[in-house]
Amino acid sequence: MIPLTIISGYLGSGKTTLINQLLKEAKKPIGVLVNDFGELNIDEELINNEDSLTLSLSNGCVCCKLNDDLGISLEQMKELNVEAVVIEASGVAIPIKIANYGLSWPGFRLLGILSLVKGKSLKHLLSDKFVSKTVKAQITQADRVLLNRFEQEEKDALSELTEDYLTEEEVGSYWNLLFKEMAASSRPEITEDNHHSIFQSFVLETEKLINIERLESYLNNNTSIERAKGWVRDEQGKTWLLQMTRNDCNFSISNYETATRMVLVHTKDLDIKSLEPVYA
Amino acid sequence: MVGVGGSSPLVSTISLNTFFICYSYLCMIKVYKAKSIITMNPSLPRTEAVAVRDGLILETGSLDSMKPWLENNDYEIDKQFRDSIIVPGLIDPHLHPSMAAVLLPTFFITAMEWRFPWGDTPATTSPEDYDKRLKEALTNPTHKDIFITWGHHDLWHGPMSRSRLNKIESNKPIVVWNRSFHELCMNDGALDYLGITEEDVKGASQIDFERGRFFELGLGYAIQKLNPYILDPDKFKEGLLKLKEVVHYGGQTTIADMAVGLFDFDNELNTQFALYENDDNPFRVELIAHATALIQHAGGSNIKAEKLISELPERNTHRLNFRKRVKLFTDGAFFAQVAQLMEPGYIDGHEGEWLSTPEQFEEVARIYWNQGYAIHVHVTGDLGLELAIDTLEKLQFEKPRFNHGFTLEHFGLSNPEQVHRLSKLGANVSANAYYVHELSDLYANHTVGFERASSMSRIGSCFREGVTTSLHSDFTMAPAQPLMSMWVAVNRINEKGVLMSPEERISPQQGMEAITINAARILGLDHEIGSIRAGKKADFTVLAQDPLEVDPMMIKDIKIEATLFEGKVFPISNR
Ligand SMILES: [Zn+2]
Ligand SMILES: [Zn+2]
Repeated sequence: MIPLTIISGYLGSGKTTLINQLLKEAKKPIGVLVNDFGELNIDEELINNEDSLTLSLSNGCVCCKLNDDLGISLEQMKELNVEAVVIEASGVAIPIKIANYGLSWPGFRLLGILSLVKGKSLKHLLSDKFVSKTVKAQITQADRVLLNRFEQEEKDALSELTEDYLTEEEVGSYWNLLFKEMAASSRPEITEDNHHSIFQSFVLETEKLINIERLESYLNNNTSIERAKGWVRDEQGKTWLLQMTRNDCNFSISNYETATRMVLVHTKDLDIKSLEPVYA
Repeated sequence: MVGVGGSSPLVSTISLNTFFICYSYLCMIKVYKAKSIITMNPSLPRTEAVAVRDGLILETGSLDSMKPWLENNDYEIDKQFRDSIIVPGLIDPHLHPSMAAVLLPTFFITAMEWRFPWGDTPATTSPEDYDKRLKEALTNPTHKDIFITWGHHDLWHGPMSRSRLNKIESNKPIVVWNRSFHELCMNDGALDYLGITEEDVKGASQIDFERGRFFELGLGYAIQKLNPYILDPDKFKEGLLKLKEVVHYGGQTTIADMAVGLFDFDNELNTQFALYENDDNPFRVELIAHATALIQHAGGSNIKAEKLISELPERNTHRLNFRKRVKLFTDGAFFAQVAQLMEPGYIDGHEGEWLSTPEQFEEVARIYWNQGYAIHVHVTGDLGLELAIDTLEKLQFEKPRFNHGFTLEHFGLSNPEQVHRLSKLGANVSANAYYVHELSDLYANHTVGFERASSMSRIGSCFREGVTTSLHSDFTMAPAQPLMSMWVAVNRINEKGVLMSPEERISPQQGMEAITINAARILGLDHEIGSIRAGKKADFTVLAQDPLEVDPMMIKDIKIEATLFEGKVFPISNR
């Protein structure tokens, strides 16, 4: 199975630069799929791909488009004996949807999603009438978030959405970041029915206080929940940073003062009402 | 025989010569007498006869009023429609011939009734009936040795699985394609035939090999295996020929392909030119290029794509024409529930989709706006609509234009303030009314709640705000039958029989406008078609009943007897 990582992030967040870095580091050919619309073919030219293979994709839902470019390209990648594949998602892609792409094509193993955030445009995007939700989803649904070109105040804005991010100075090797560290949180395979995607995400925002123990056991025992991330406020008024994957559920004390706010990535059969017992 | 009317001698002489040289025989005047003619010309709304020569309308009125035309010319009075109602040739300003070409060769088993020239597809509403129909139909494979059926819907037909299909038939390949297009299911025979093994699809989360099901990207994998069959050039031709029958049967004399380039630009175009540009074709096709799909074709940039699109009219023929029009998109599909919504969004909290970033949309729209194009924008959710309206406002500020033809296509969810704004900005609306019929119950109970669901396709408000509004089918999203679209817009009764927002209904008169003169305006052809008046093309649709007089609930059942395309009669016999 070929390892696959998805790079998401809004227009201009530095995806292409990152991929060029990665290509410089790569010792063997890797495949790059650029999933974007319109003139992003220009981006494709920016990517210098001597050994590696770059294919550009257009997007659209199967309702409107039967020739599935992504699928065809993934099939081509299989023939080409590449070491790994990176998908550069479009600026408006919803990460969990792209993750489903990665999960569902035979012969590939999804390692995770890295979302890029350009500090300079973050505040503006988070209040944008049209894309604020998309950009928030890109941040909260990613496995790792990478912040670049930022000032301190932008760091604070990002911290309100996720504590789990790193900055460009902290990256030693993009190869390791994308194909080694991601692999550590690798996902199990799931075969579930769903309308448009296997995973959905749900943001739980509540003033109600939460019993951490009951939440932990709820998360560990509920097979519909794929991942959870965010802040939880307990009965003592303490805030905990929650990081939960299929393999691991981790609470750590956070000094960020907030009401409970977390993202649950779950399969369609999750009944939100089943959360009731976790409230204090 | 003397020339034209009673005008000045000089004019008569010149006309006379021309006529004698080129057209003396063809120029015979044909007068069609009808029970009533609905002209859609507000200055003369009802007449009983129409005189036609060389594909053009000379005059409509009474036999008496057109005497000056007849006195000095050869003419013939044709009474074959004397008991019928003649209306302007119906127009569907947005459908997709290439989607239709893929789908029509499949066998339809659907929860809603679909009427076709080759026989009606009855409503199949239970799992038992579904299996029964499938079994009966299996004897004739649709594609080489594969039987492909379209229209399965879990809600009515029950969950589909490989074992369920195997019980009906396990050897002959069967493929069941879901109504939403998002899923398909295969029996053992099909998996074998297409060479899909458990080993191949191991670990793919959107393929359930055990149950023979492929969805979303998994569907892409299955479709790729099916492509040699469904996109086979001969099948594509067969599909386009079937569409020709469908369009005629629906009473249409003009349709618009609202996204040329959906699959394969050259192939779509060449096949349409080859099959539709001939004398026995009863309609014209307006061709509107899909701007993003053409970027790659044109060499990688929007500027190059614009140049290519600007040169497309050079390929025009009599019936098939590109004009200065282009198709853009904002948000995702309405049937797939990925429209972009304003607050409070979807009940289950899922996100809609953008088809490009708002910045990219604006940039592309600006290129075409500044070059003077009429821009057609696919918008489905209220936020998708908002982006189109905001962009139009910006462009109007930068470079004001009048009567610019900026058209909002589909118009799923909206709010009254948006209707007001788009009216002020001079935009048109081409609405898919069928959403109300097929989706409003689902949207009310599961997707956005009753308030917003009941007012989807807010057509009444558009008419009240003076917006030029037409109806379209987006076929294959809804039946290519303008009278069906009109029926939904006039009655707003959904598939459960519930009336949705009576305030947004339109009158039968407005409904008729929406599928004739307004649709012509939206395609920029109102000087030639869309109403029956002197000087326009002789495109008519002949109906057994009067759509403005019948019980509005009967509009969709009015029998269409014939169409006339540029004066030539094309009877519709088999209904
Ligand atoms: Zn559309
Ligand atoms: Zn369409």
